[in-house]
Amino acid sequence: MTIHEIYIDDQECWGCKTCEVACKQEMNAPEGVKLIVVSEDGPKIVGGAPDFTYRINMCQHCNEPPCADACPEEAIAKRSDGIVVMDYELCSGCRACIEVCPYDAIDFDDDKSIARKCNLCHHRVDRGLIPACADNVCLAHCIHFDDSNEKKKRDNMLAS
Amino acid sequence: MAEFKYSNIEKEMQAYGFDKVIKSHCRMCHGGCGTLIYIKNGVVKKIAGDPDCPINHGTLCSKGIASAQLAYHPDRLTYPVRRVGAKAGGKWERISWDEALDAIAERILNTKDKFGAESIVMGYGTGRENEAAIYRFANLLGTPNVLTAGHFCYGPRIATSIITCGTNPVVDYENDPKCIMLWGNNLVISNPDEYKGEPFSASLSKGAKLIVIDPRLTRAAARADIWLQLRPGTDTALAYGMLNVIVNEELYDKEFVANYVHGWEPFVRRINEYSPEKAARITWVPKNKIIDAARLYATTKPAGIQWGVAIEQQINCADNDRILMAMMGITGNLDVPGGQMLFRPPKINNVGTFGAHKMLAKEQAAIRLGGDRFRLAANFGIINPKCVWDAIIKEKPYAVKMLFLISTNPMLTRANAKKVREALEQIEFMVVSDFFLTPTAELADIVLPAATWLEMDYVGDFWKRHGYLLPRRKAIEIAECRSDHEMLNDLAHRVGQEEYWWDTFEGGLDYILEPMGITWQDFKKMDYIRGDVRYQKYKEKGFATPTGKLEIYSTLLEKWGYDPLPQFREPPESPYSTPELYNDYPYTLITGRRLPGFFHSENRQIPWLRELHKDPVVEIHPQSAQKEGIHEGDWVILESPRGKARQRAKFFEGMDPRVVSAEHAWWYPEKKDPDHGWDESNINILTDNSFANCDPAMGSTHVRTLLCKIYPAKK
Ligand code: SF4
Ligand code: SF4
Repeated sequence: MTIHEIYIDDQECWGCKTCEVACKQEMNAPEGVKLIVVSEDGPKIVGGAPDFTYRINMCQHCNEPPCADACPEEAIAKRSDGIVVMDYELCSGCRACIEVCPYDAIDFDDDKSIARKCNLCHHRVDRGLIPACADNVCLAHCIHFDDSNEKKKRDNMLAS
Repeated sequence: MAEFKYSNIEKEMQAYGFDKVIKSHCRMCHGGCGTLIYIKNGVVKKIAGDPDCPINHGTLCSKGIASAQLAYHPDRLTYPVRRVGAKAGGKWERISWDEALDAIAERILNTKDKFGAESIVMGYGTGRENEAAIYRFANLLGTPNVLTAGHFCYGPRIATSIITCGTNPVVDYENDPKCIMLWGNNLVISNPDEYKGEPFSASLSKGAKLIVIDPRLTRAAARADIWLQLRPGTDTALAYGMLNVIVNEELYDKEFVANYVHGWEPFVRRINEYSPEKAARITWVPKNKIIDAARLYATTKPAGIQWGVAIEQQINCADNDRILMAMMGITGNLDVPGGQMLFRPPKINNVGTFGAHKMLAKEQAAIRLGGDRFRLAANFGIINPKCVWDAIIKEKPYAVKMLFLISTNPMLTRANAKKVREALEQIEFMVVSDFFLTPTAELADIVLPAATWLEMDYVGDFWKRHGYLLPRRKAIEIAECRSDHEMLNDLAHRVGQEEYWWDTFEGGLDYILEPMGITWQDFKKMDYIRGDVRYQKYKEKGFATPTGKLEIYSTLLEKWGYDPLPQFREPPESPYSTPELYNDYPYTLITGRRLPGFFHSENRQIPWLRELHKDPVVEIHPQSAQKEGIHEGDWVILESPRGKARQRAKFFEGMDPRVVSAEHAWWYPEKKDPDHGWDESNINILTDNSFANCDPAMGSTHVRTLLCKIYPAKK
């Protein structure tokens, strides 16, 4: 079984927010609800030089997802392929998951009174497609899904 | 010619049950990306990038993806309307296309008869690729007056490059530049011409060196090997400082200079007036950085200068463009692989031919508004907006009686917005073609419902300078909306131009392609066509200039009575040129920082895009904010001698504390009264449109830097 993996290289990100809008197109989340968020980091001084970067935040699909443990409705579960899926049908809107998510990756949909998070486009992945944000929308090509070359590169970087 | 092919599409179609996919070419900004439009039950369900497109390689920007929200927007104008009652009264009646076009045609013919064709001014903004059709209509009508953004956007690049080296030099990203100098441009989030941010980004990932010239710390500036944080408006002086290093350290291409440059000696004399020390004093950039940047650019080959509109919306517009071309040339980077290419389009009836400029009578061209004042602009059919507003208000040098504005919102996007409003209130008859009833359209007599790029066939980018043509294929139809091209084609038949137009506008597309021996129906089946790419063409044929050389010393500017060499002028309002004013207005205001999602005054009503920026934002250094009693997120007032605007303060340390940076072209479509908040946050209420504030040759209005004060808005 492939364990799915999404990897975003913040250093390459230009802050164009296309991934945010690609996610909107796919998931149609209401105004104010974002399943992927691009935010500014800086300006600040790093090593004596001015720095300014963007950070992309989304569900990390944790190995031991605290949100799943916290959810009284058992609406959140980690699949065997690694994707942590929130079932909106089961969500009662108690916000317990939002409290415990260490990455601040769960948003609340006021219209429907339910929590929302990135389900890694499992409806696409299950049909052999890749998540909307990773599907070659990013001009920096910095969002990678199940990309073995990218994984190798990263492992080498960590090793060295 | 590339084959028409699909990739990764079948699974997408299956997964969602789409009925079809149409390849097309986006036009949400100034250049176009290849797109895939997925359709179900006749409705656009998804827009994605086309992986086979050489411009964007499958990537898109937020505007492209959100295009369907524009096309299906509930506020869209979907049929022609005629105003009932007073201007800006907000009362309209629905009329048919025939009624609308007959009324417009009658007005055009009567006005021409009584006051001459020149009293009718056609206009467009940063167009929807309708420029060639608009010029064609105007020239055949006999009016020399087409009011565009061309005086301060892209037009200057075209005009100055034609007189200097023959055509607009474009960075050759396809051959991996080793050094890129990003000058007044942020193409990864803005709306660039020719190539988009993707190939630039790819070049950096492959290791190209990066030099960024920008008063603000952008992500690109942070990633740069060298960031030159210049005082706004001093680009020419900075370029001279760098050239001083390049020439005195002999880092230039001697063979190129000896054989292909016109005016080297006088240019070197001018260069020697700008030591790096002097340039540092003028620009606020430390001398060592100027030297380092000059060395890096001149010795890393091939190198490209990615320039943008920021250097054109200045009093030094034409000279900024020209001095950068000089730098490209003398470092040996012109027309070489990975450098700065003078691409050629395929053999077509190009934008100039299509525009029928030769059909305009000489006597009419001679009375182009502002033609005697802005002679570089006038030679390229471009006029300065103030000339039009004056002709409406003061009827000098003659009266303008009718405006026909197509996809433009000058109350938001041209300098001294209150004056613009005054002119639009006074004009006797105004037609607007647009997607929405914008603040400008609210003052019109008749408004026509324009089609988006999803609703038209067109030869995309046929006027661009990367040499590509890309088919834009109609995907949908929305109510009675019509493309500007179809509209003008129809109107042309009603004003006696039928001989020069076609039964439908498809004939116009065939006309563009005719020299290649293909029709629109043939082209529609292709991915794209590109002109032959040949390098160093100047070695055989010289440059397409009067002397056949790179005219750093411009014989044409000299003939038209201008300084033939690039010249630095201090911005008209600055701590140095107007020290007294500076006492009362102690900040240098820069305007027009680009935001992903917006294109000038467009897209504030598109939900996915407005969500990216709810309110207009002015960036201020925290030190300055503290001094002015401003808290982060407060509404603040920006004020110049012309007027005020309010935006929200955001603290930003990546800027000199003496500078504040505002956003441009904000209005509030969600406010349903006919003003739509046009004068609340509009930075062009502050900008100056006087002739003294314009480039003397190009007439570009210096809107990018001025003096202001800033203070908290009363709660
Ligand atoms: S699309 Fe890519 S470059 Fe743009 S914000 Fe997202 S990650 Fe960053
Ligand atoms: S929602 Fe938060 S806690 Fe749950 S898997 Fe995602 S990142 Fe981890």
